[in-house]
Amino acid sequence: MKVKKCKSCNTELKKDWIALHRKLLDKDAKEFLCISCLADTFGCEVEDLEIKIEEFKEEGCVLFK
Amino acid sequence: MKQFIYADNAATTKLDNEAFEAMTPYLLNEYGNASQPYSFAREPKKALAEARQIIAEAINALPEEIYFTSGGTESDNWAIKGSAFLDTYKRATITSAIEHHAVLRACEAIERLGYPVVYINPDSKGLITPDALDSTITDNTRLVSVMYSNNEIGTIEPVKELAQIAHGHGALFHTDAVQAIGHINIDVKALGVDMLSASAHKFNGPKGIGFLYIKKGISIASFSDGGSQESGLRAGTENIAAIVGMAIALRNNLAKLSDNETHILKLEQLLLSELSGFDFVRNGAENHVPGNISLSFKDRDGEAILHRLDLAGICVSTGSACDSVNTRISHVLKAIGLDDSYAKGTIRISLGKDNTEDDVKAIATALKRILLP
Repeated sequence: MKVKKCKSCNTELKKDWIALHRKLLDKDAKEFLCISCLADTFGCEVEDLEIKIEEFKEEGCVLFK
Repeated sequence: MKQFIYADNAATTKLDNEAFEAMTPYLLNEYGNASQPYSFAREPKKALAEARQIIAEAINALPEEIYFTSGGTESDNWAIKGSAFLDTYKRATITSAIEHHAVLRACEAIERLGYPVVYINPDSKGLITPDALDSTITDNTRLVSVMYSNNEIGTIEPVKELAQIAHGHGALFHTDAVQAIGHINIDVKALGVDMLSASAHKFNGPKGIGFLYIKKGISIASFSDGGSQESGLRAGTENIAAIVGMAIALRNNLAKLSDNETHILKLEQLLLSELSGFDFVRNGAENHVPGNISLSFKDRDGEAILHRLDLAGICVSTGSACDSVNTRISHVLKAIGLDDSYAKGTIRISLGKDNTEDDVKAIATALKRILLP
């Protein structure tokens, strides 16, 4: 399987980061940001996004399955 | 330090400081059971009577017309079920399609027991028009229940006119005033309502307490059976601290109601002017609860906006929730016929008396950052 990389910094992407990008930025995106670049975009801390990811999983959001 | 802006006052409000101070003696020292005959119960009994008096005066009711409950949901359930269960003829209930779920689910529950319920659709502003009720009501209608103001879009309903129509057909009229009490002057006698629901935490009181106004002479089935509290209709030891806190919070909110309204309406205008240029619809009627601002942005995702604002330290609500498969649009937005392309991008900003111009400017700045390409 082809490894997906952050469209901004080329960091190898994790599944949850792709889901988060879809959840908060663009559901139909084909290219994605890593969690650090997402945090920069949103003006928040990476930890804030990690908490969000866990909350979305607990809520059963299908993007994170 | 990260900013924190609370703009979800329709969901709940911050506890009034004076209400908190007034509550503490009944949590710590004056913990006597108000139903007991000994002297230690005198203070809580007196506090209970004073709180009932304050609340009654606030809505132009009699103290014996105020029944303390655990909140808006209980009050709504009691009004709907209590009036149905006392009627052996199983006559119909009429409500609106945009009620809070506390009313809608209670209506569904009585439907399952064989009591007919009719749901009136609003117009595009969320108004339940007198004509719509007039063409639906029959002499077989037992109860009409229409909210005073809508929690999602803020529309204030023509309650007085609706109550007159209900009474003209021999029906009772209940209004869920949870979003209105403490923010709008309410006079139950002038409105002509038979029952009215309220919840303290919506007007800077504590959570877990509310009341149901039941007009003198109106009979409904008891909510709970047991002791003689609340005239035997709502048995259970009274939560004196919460009741006292509710009364103080309501009294304080009403004392500054006009100033608060002016302040909040100014903030509303500021927010809307800051957002001019974006493609959005403001939902609801011109006559609305101050501060309730439902905005639907075209081709946007309301849930994503909510979370992005949260990451910026701003609390608001949304009118839709989505996963990768479906977007669930709220029953209110569906009922007013809002186009899906807007409905999916709905957020509710509910400003309160403690919000400032700086708060609104920060919300607008954060929204622009989210909405601009």
